[in-house]
Amino acid sequence: MNKWVRENLWRHAVAIAVCLFSLFPLYLVILSSLKTSGSLQVGSFIPHEISLDNYRFLFHSPKTPYLLWFKNSIVISSVVALSSVFIGAASAFAFSRLKFKGKKLGIRLLLLVQMFPAVLAISAVYVIMERVYTFAPKIGLGSQGGLILVYLGGSMGVNIWLLKGFVDSIPVELDEAAKIDGATPVQTYWLIFLPLATPVLAVVCLLSFIGTFNEFILARLFLVEMNGRTIAVGLQQFIGGQYASNWGPFAAGSILASIPIVIIFLSLQRFIVNGLTAGSVKG
Amino acid sequence: MRGKFALVTKIIFLGITTAILALLTESAFAQKQYVIGSFILIAALALNLVYFTSISVPFKFFLPGILFFIAFVIAPIFFTAQMSGYKYQTGNYLDKKAALEQVINLGAQPDSQGTTFDLTAGKNSANEYAILVSDITNDKYFISTQNKRVEVPKALAKFDANGVAIEAPDFKAISANVLATNDAYSKIHYMYEGKYYIAVQTQNSGGVFRQELSYSADTGVLTNTVTGATYVDNHRGNFAKVGTPSEILSPGWRAPVWFENYSRLVTDKKVRTPLVRVFIWTFSFALLSVLTTFALGLLLAIALNRKMRGRRVYRSILILPYAMPSVMSILIWAGMFDSDFGAVNSILHSHFHWFQNPSLARGIVLLVNLWLGFPYFYLICSGSLQAIPAELSEAAAIDGANPRQVFRKITLPLLLQILSPLLIASFAFNFNNFNIIYLLTGGGPTQTLNGEIAGATDILISYTYKIAFGSQSFQDFGLASAISVIIFLLVASISMYGLRRSKVMETFE
Repeated sequence: MNKWVRENLWRHAVAIAVCLFSLFPLYLVILSSLKTSGSLQVGSFIPHEISLDNYRFLFHSPKTPYLLWFKNSIVISSVVALSSVFIGAASAFAFSRLKFKGKKLGIRLLLLVQMFPAVLAISAVYVIMERVYTFAPKIGLGSQGGLILVYLGGSMGVNIWLLKGFVDSIPVELDEAAKIDGATPVQTYWLIFLPLATPVLAVVCLLSFIGTFNEFILARLFLVEMNGRTIAVGLQQFIGGQYASNWGPFAAGSILASIPIVIIFLSLQRFIVNGLTAGSVKG
Repeated sequence: MRGKFALVTKIIFLGITTAILALLTESAFAQKQYVIGSFILIAALALNLVYFTSISVPFKFFLPGILFFIAFVIAPIFFTAQMSGYKYQTGNYLDKKAALEQVINLGAQPDSQGTTFDLTAGKNSANEYAILVSDITNDKYFISTQNKRVEVPKALAKFDANGVAIEAPDFKAISANVLATNDAYSKIHYMYEGKYYIAVQTQNSGGVFRQELSYSADTGVLTNTVTGATYVDNHRGNFAKVGTPSEILSPGWRAPVWFENYSRLVTDKKVRTPLVRVFIWTFSFALLSVLTTFALGLLLAIALNRKMRGRRVYRSILILPYAMPSVMSILIWAGMFDSDFGAVNSILHSHFHWFQNPSLARGIVLLVNLWLGFPYFYLICSGSLQAIPAELSEAAAIDGANPRQVFRKITLPLLLQILSPLLIASFAFNFNNFNIIYLLTGGGPTQTLNGEIAGATDILISYTYKIAFGSQSFQDFGLASAISVIIFLLVASISMYGLRRSKVMETFE
C-alpha cells in the first residue's frame, strides 16, 4: 500500500489537476448554455435548472442564422478538403515515386515557401482578390468561391508535404509490378495507387477539413455578409464583446460547432499523433 | 473500352475548364487586369499542352497543384515584397492616372454663391447633349451645350407646375428612364459664363462650377488658375506645391519609394518604438509558450508513462483542449475573463479588469495558450518516451542513479535531442500565432490617447494586421508588407535551422 502511494499517488494527482484545468472552461460553457439567463455568471457548479432556450434562440433568431453558417462551414471545408487532397495527392505521388530533374529543388522550394505565414501575405491576397472582383465577382473578394480558391492555394504546401509522408509509407512493390506489366505512370496512379491509398487520403482529407473549419482570418476578411459567414466568423461577430446579452446562445453555438470536430479528431487520434511527429498538423 | 471512357472524361473535363478560363481571361482583359488575365490565359494553355501531349509526365501530376501554388502563395509573396517598396496607404491607394483624374475633379470649385439651377436634360437638333436651364430667380432661361449657350425667350418655352422650363425650341427632353440608364450627359461641362460651367448634379438640377486646376501633360505641372500656385510630382506619390512641399494635393497614388518603408522601421521613432516593444513581447511570448506547454506536456507524459488505472480516461480528457476548434475555445476563454459577466470574476468574487492591465493581459494570453498547447506536447512526449530504450535507464539505475538523476542525465537530454525540431517548429508557430492574440485581447490593452495602435499583447503579426487593416481611417499596406517580409526572413531562418537539425532535408539526398 505504501509503495503504491509513493509510486502512483503523485501521478494521479498531476493527472487529475490537469484534467480539471482542461475541463474547467468546457464545463462552464456547457453549464451556461443550459441556463435561461444570458450571463455566464456561475452561481454554483451544479445546474439547478436546465433549459434549451439558448439552443432555440440559435436556430430561430434572425441575429444568428446558425444553420446557414453551419452549412457554409461544412460546404467550404468539404470542397477545400476534397479538392486539395485530389490535387495534392497527384503531386505527392510524383514527388514520392517519379524520378525527374529538379525534384530536390522543388521540395526545398515547397518547404521554404511554406514558411511564409499565410497571414502575412494577407494584404497581398486582399489586393489581388479585390482586382479579381472587378471582372469575376463570384470568385473575387467577398465571395465564398474566392475564399475556397485562396484556401486551396494555401493548403497545397502542407497537404503535399503531409501526403508525401503517407505515400512513402505505401509499399512500392505493387506499382513496380504494374510498371513491369507496361503501365504508364498515369495508369499506375489511377488504377493501382489511388485505390490503395484511399484510406490514407481519407485521413488527410478529414485533417484538411478540420483545418479549414478552424480557419478564421481569411474567412473574416472575405465573408462580410451575414448569411455567407462560416461558423467561426459568425459566432465571433455575434459575440463581438457583448458577453452580457449574447453569451448563452454563443455558448450553445460553440458547443454544437465543436462536437463534430471533436468526434473526428478523437476517432483519428492515432493518425494525428503519427502525423504530429512529421510536423504540425492542426493549428 | 476503359481507355475510351477515360479519354472522353478527360476531353469533357478539360474542355469545360478551358472554356471557363477563356471567359475569365476575356473579362479580365476587358477590365484591364492584364497581369491576372495573362496568368489565367497561360494556365489554360499549359493545361491543354500538358494533358493533350506527352511533353512531360511529371507535369501531368504537378500542374494543378503548381498553378494554385503560384496563384495564391507565390504571387502574394512576390506582391508583398513589391508592395513593401511602395508608398501604398490610405490616400495613396490608386494608380497615378486615376489619382490625377480625381485631383482634377476635386479642383472644380463652386462659384462664390454656390449657385444652383433647375434644369431639364435633353438633346438639341444637332443631336448634342443639352440642358434647358431655368434661372427662376432672375426669370431667365437658356439652353446650354458643351460649347455654346443660347438664350430662350420666356414666351417660347413651356413650363411645369413649379415654373421649371421643360420644353423649348431646338430642344428635345430625354425621359427620366433613359437618363437613369445612360449617364453620359452628366459628365459634360455645360457652358455658363466665362470660366464657369454648369455641372449636372441630379437628373433635374445642376450647379455652377469653375475648374481651378489645369494639368499640362507635357510639363507634368498642375496649375491653380485662380491663385497661380503650381504643383509638381514630389516623386512620393503626391502633387506638392512648388515652394512649400508640405502642401500636397489629395488623393495621391502608390509610388515607388524603394527601401523607405524598411528604413522607417529604424529611423522613424513613431514606427520604431512600438515595433521594438512588440518584437520583444513576440519573442518572449513565443519562448514562454513553448516552455510552458512543453513542461506541462512532459510532466503529464512522465506521470502517465506506466500502466495505471484510469489512464485512458485521463488521456481522452487531456486531449480535449487540442481537439476543440481553437477559435471557439479562445472566444470562450475571452468570455470567461470578461470583467462584468465573466465566470472568473464571479468565482473569485472580484471585479478585475483582466484585459485592461498589461501584465495581467499578458499572463492570461500565456495561460490560455498553455491550455491550448499542452496536449500537443503531452501526445508527442508520451510517444517519444516510449521510443527511448528502457535499457538506458535500467543500466543507469543499476549503476546507482536515482530516478531524478536518470531523468536529468539521460531521459531529458535524449528527449530534447529528439524533439528539438518540434520545439523550434512550435516556436515558429507561436511567433505567428495570430488567432490567440486577435480573438482573446485584440492586442490590447492599448493606449489609444496618443494614437498608438500597438497594444501590450500585440505580437508582430497582429500588429502588422492592424497596420494593414486595423483602422478604418488609416491603412498602410506598404509598411505592413515591409514588416511581413522581415518576419518571413526571421521565421524562415529559424525553421531552416530547425529542419537542418531534424535532418529532414537528408531524406532527399
